[in-house]
Amino acid sequence: MRVPLSWLREYVDFDLSVDELVEAISLHSQEVDGVHGLGVLDGEVVVGEVVEFGPHPNADRLFVAKVDLGGREVQIVAGAPNPYPGARVPVVLPGSVMADGTKLRKAKLRGLESNGMMMSERELGISNDHDGILLLDESHKTGRPVADYFPVGETVLELDVNPNRPDLWGMIGVARELAAILRTDFRIPELSFETGGLPTDEYGLRVEAEDLCPRYDLRRVSNLVPGGRAPLEMRRRIFAAGMRSINAIVDISNFTMLETGQPNHVFDASQVRGGIVVRRAREGEAMTLLDGTTRKLDPEMLIIADEERGLVIAGVMGAGDAEVGEETSEVLIEVATFAGRSIFETSARLGLRTEASGRNERGLDPNMVPFARDRVASLLARHAGGKIAPDTLSHYPEPVRDWEVPLRIERAELLLGVPVEKDEAARRLESLGCEVRSEDGELSVTVPTFRRDLRREVDLIEEVGRLVGLDRVPEELPKTSVPGGLTPTQKKVRTLRRLLADLGLAEAITYPFGPDRWRTDLGLDSGHEPPKLANPLSEQAREMRSTLLPGLLDAAVRNEAFGVEGGALFEVGRVFEAHPPPEGLRETAIHFRLTGEVNRLGPDVEPDAASLMGIEETPKVGGVLAGTIRPANWNASERRAGFFEAKGIVERLVPGASFVPEDRPFLHPGRSAAVRVGDVLAGWVGELHPETAERFDLSSPPAVFELELAFCEPDPTPRFRPFTNVPTVSRDLAVVVESWVPAGDMLATVEALGSPLLVGARVFDVYEGAQVPEGQKSVALRFAFRGEETLTDEAVNAELDRISRRLRESFSAEVRGA
Amino acid sequence: MARLAREAARLANTSKFAEQVRQAAEAGRHVDVSKFAEQARQAAEAGRHVDQTQVVAEASRLAEQAQTAVKAANSLAELERLRVEYLGRSSQLTELRRLVRELPVEARPQVGGAANKAAQNMEGAFETRWAELTVAEREERLRSEAVDVTLPGVPYPKGSLHPSMRVVDEVVDFFVGLGYRVAEGPEVETDYLNFTALNIPPGHPARTMQDTFFLDEGLVLRTQTSPIQIRTMLSQEPPVYIVSPGKTYRRDSDPTHTPMFHQIEGLAVDRGITLAHLKGTLAAMARHVFGEDVKVRLRPSYFQFTEPSVELDVSCFVCGGADPKCKVCKGAGWLEMLGAGMVDPTVLSEVGYDPEEFTGFAFGMGPDRMAMVKYGISDLRLFFEGDLRFLRQF
Repeated sequence: MRVPLSWLREYVDFDLSVDELVEAISLHSQEVDGVHGLGVLDGEVVVGEVVEFGPHPNADRLFVAKVDLGGREVQIVAGAPNPYPGARVPVVLPGSVMADGTKLRKAKLRGLESNGMMMSERELGISNDHDGILLLDESHKTGRPVADYFPVGETVLELDVNPNRPDLWGMIGVARELAAILRTDFRIPELSFETGGLPTDEYGLRVEAEDLCPRYDLRRVSNLVPGGRAPLEMRRRIFAAGMRSINAIVDISNFTMLETGQPNHVFDASQVRGGIVVRRAREGEAMTLLDGTTRKLDPEMLIIADEERGLVIAGVMGAGDAEVGEETSEVLIEVATFAGRSIFETSARLGLRTEASGRNERGLDPNMVPFARDRVASLLARHAGGKIAPDTLSHYPEPVRDWEVPLRIERAELLLGVPVEKDEAARRLESLGCEVRSEDGELSVTVPTFRRDLRREVDLIEEVGRLVGLDRVPEELPKTSVPGGLTPTQKKVRTLRRLLADLGLAEAITYPFGPDRWRTDLGLDSGHEPPKLANPLSEQAREMRSTLLPGLLDAAVRNEAFGVEGGALFEVGRVFEAHPPPEGLRETAIHFRLTGEVNRLGPDVEPDAASLMGIEETPKVGGVLAGTIRPANWNASERRAGFFEAKGIVERLVPGASFVPEDRPFLHPGRSAAVRVGDVLAGWVGELHPETAERFDLSSPPAVFELELAFCEPDPTPRFRPFTNVPTVSRDLAVVVESWVPAGDMLATVEALGSPLLVGARVFDVYEGAQVPEGQKSVALRFAFRGEETLTDEAVNAELDRISRRLRESFSAEVRGA
Repeated sequence: MARLAREAARLANTSKFAEQVRQAAEAGRHVDVSKFAEQARQAAEAGRHVDQTQVVAEASRLAEQAQTAVKAANSLAELERLRVEYLGRSSQLTELRRLVRELPVEARPQVGGAANKAAQNMEGAFETRWAELTVAEREERLRSEAVDVTLPGVPYPKGSLHPSMRVVDEVVDFFVGLGYRVAEGPEVETDYLNFTALNIPPGHPARTMQDTFFLDEGLVLRTQTSPIQIRTMLSQEPPVYIVSPGKTYRRDSDPTHTPMFHQIEGLAVDRGITLAHLKGTLAAMARHVFGEDVKVRLRPSYFQFTEPSVELDVSCFVCGGADPKCKVCKGAGWLEMLGAGMVDPTVLSEVGYDPEEFTGFAFGMGPDRMAMVKYGISDLRLFFEGDLRFLRQF
């Protein structure tokens, strides 16, 4: 809501700077989104009378004028041709500051001095009209400040009105609110007019859709002067409030809406055939609107029609038919209350939001109707020469009356946490328009119908709190102490994220939705359909991810494109899988999703909530290591992404995991593995398949991994194992085996021996080449032995023999050099 | 005495010893020992005593000579050679000490004492010089081992944590310290829990205020983390003290809005919870995240599931409200931090709590925006692009 301050002052007096006003409103009522300036913010604008006017001698498009400013004559260079000797014009003098911050100076334009500027409507903040200089009528006295007639500058507050306060969508409501904040009074314009126009009841009024239209009023105004313009000050206010001036009748309609917050509509009465009908649109009915578009309507939408055709999409926008025009001399004023939700849905479905729909969709107070109706009528009489009908037509079958809400002071004190004085609470509520009766410890509050948001005690407590001042609320902490903390899983995720960061990976967060290419490029299109967004921002963001991989790969592509030299990313996030509810349960599922209720299927059969959700979320951790993950240093060579780099990370995250070759369409078949914990799949690790890398536009395949968080143990609970203080003996054993023999199997076999002395075993070298036969490899193992007491050579050798025998039996391993 | 005389005679008659004496004399080296031997021999023959004073003088002369040589030594190797020469098995001093046994008993203490003293002096000199030379040699070695300390160290990998998650962790830690639990919930949420249970029935205009992503009928990507509050309250009795961070989604995309963003919500429901508790709790949180000096203020606001509703501003932690040109608060002196309020009685009733018995406060904040303010980031879209030039800064 745009609030021009000069307009606001018509209803309420206040002596605050703009900053103070903004603070008062934002600390006690609504957020102020912005402060805008219009016209001349500081300086002097006077009524000048043009004495001479003619072309500039040195410029084709400039003119030069001599202007009488009331006793002194100045020369002014102008760009517009419309002034003439004798015309009254607004002249802004050098030194003045315009709304955009520019300061006007004396200037020489093509050799001629210019001592000021004659102003257009736009420069004065009256309209967007910049076609010529504003010409003032004879009532403006030469030499007088223009501000004596209308404000030459305007400050407009942009209020971000909360949706529960439709009363603040009008100037009067804002004035009432400000008066309540400042504990002062406000004024509502007096409605005084004479009637004598043609009667309204020559037209019919039939409300067919009462459920969507609680109130509908009509009043006729005849004998209007056609084609008139609204007074300058009214046009200026409408413009400052953000609307356009059209003609006197439309401007008065809009002015009243801005003033009262109550939309209205004005029909050209001569075009209304028979009478007004308020009904639902018919199937297939269409209407060509004022904005030139033709809209198809449906029976959910409320329209205002005459006996023959639709005239207005109720509360939203009018059609061209029966619209007020330059020839209109007689009107029907509609002021009505519509069901807010219906207006909201119609406006949303048509994608049509207007000043009127924005107000109507909040659901307005039907008791606002008479004032707005007669305000339009009286302004039409005053400014357009109209004659007001003596009668009105009104359909208001169920009048809304004010209501009473009790307020317990001790309840207010409990919620607000501050002492509340009964009298002060009463005064504050009265300033909002309530009537308050005081009983012991309790107030009985009668709420005016325009405050439909004040239904409950707690609503009143909020009003008292904000008007008394939230700065009075002290800072305290709740007294109770409860056990809290992170769950083991939450702690684990923390540790895991820190561990990965310490291992050199950067934590990324990517979008969980993407294009179907994500799936097809990974070769995952054979599985079942992923969950999809019904209304994605674009097709590129429709499918929910079933793996973290594509988002991370897209990030890797981006980093490569911007020349980041390799790098490692990880993400902790959820992946989504669709499990549509089983056949026959769909209705139950939808009912559950919309109401939270689980319908029983039989006396004891209750479907579980998870299956009714139909989408399963699994938290995972994924990583991508691309290119150079550690650059060369002067004393260390670079580390490039590869299978074992990724595997090393996985080993830190899932201690005790086993790695089993297993094909995945997007991974290198020879450089990837399933990660298993026991027999259960925990995830996968590998180098990206070169073809997949190409599809993603990566210059070389990165190493990637993904694990289910449930299987990660980044910091397993330690379990102490006793040890003896005897030296550990280390022995190496190099064996030659067939190339295909997995080293991991060899270690596992050794471990399975269950040697009581063996405390460690690792592979420290693998060699294939000239020193061993073709098709074979040498695997060098290092064992550590420790016993209860210092081990003898014999004991160690015996153990080593046992190991090599077992390796020979299991893998035909020949001990090298033996 | 008889034994001594016999030995002296043996010495005197030993042509080998005489030869040694002769050679030493020719070489101009110390002849004193043989001289003493001679004296001893003569003395023995004459039944007289060796001139003890002379022996003592010779011993101290030897010690002096050794000390001079040691002081002049310039390396540990040379020093070792001198040690052998002056203190070794075949050194003069050793000879002299052997001689002591040949002396009359009454002469031995004096001569032996002198020899020992000479040996001690020499050893002292050696030790001192050894220490000096060791230090000097170590210093020399260290000098030669010097490296260019401006060369970079071994590059241990350095990763980073996402800026939003840094803020999330900080906020969560604060509330955990107050005894809150961390509650989580699904990102795909039911229409009921995301809206209706939060006092936003179908057709309510607030539903458009948060443009929602829809999935299968009745399912949405949660537009707020508030459904977690409902889930928590449905699953337990008060008191409830939870904080719930998570991803949320709205159909919005521009420099200050991304279709995914983070929220942290909190909820405290107990007997006697007041707006003052809300203010105190959030003020303490703001000071935890933005520094001890920040102040907070409440402004009235509107949320469907709280009444009264407030917004919390934090005084600008950069300029403190003093700089009209401050880039962080844009001169306002205050930063909008979060929305909050007292839990609406309708919401409490919906989950089966008695609003007359229990009251509560709830709040919600945007850790992405808090990170933007805290770290001076201007474009929210950067948060979700996985760009290492961005991520590595945190």
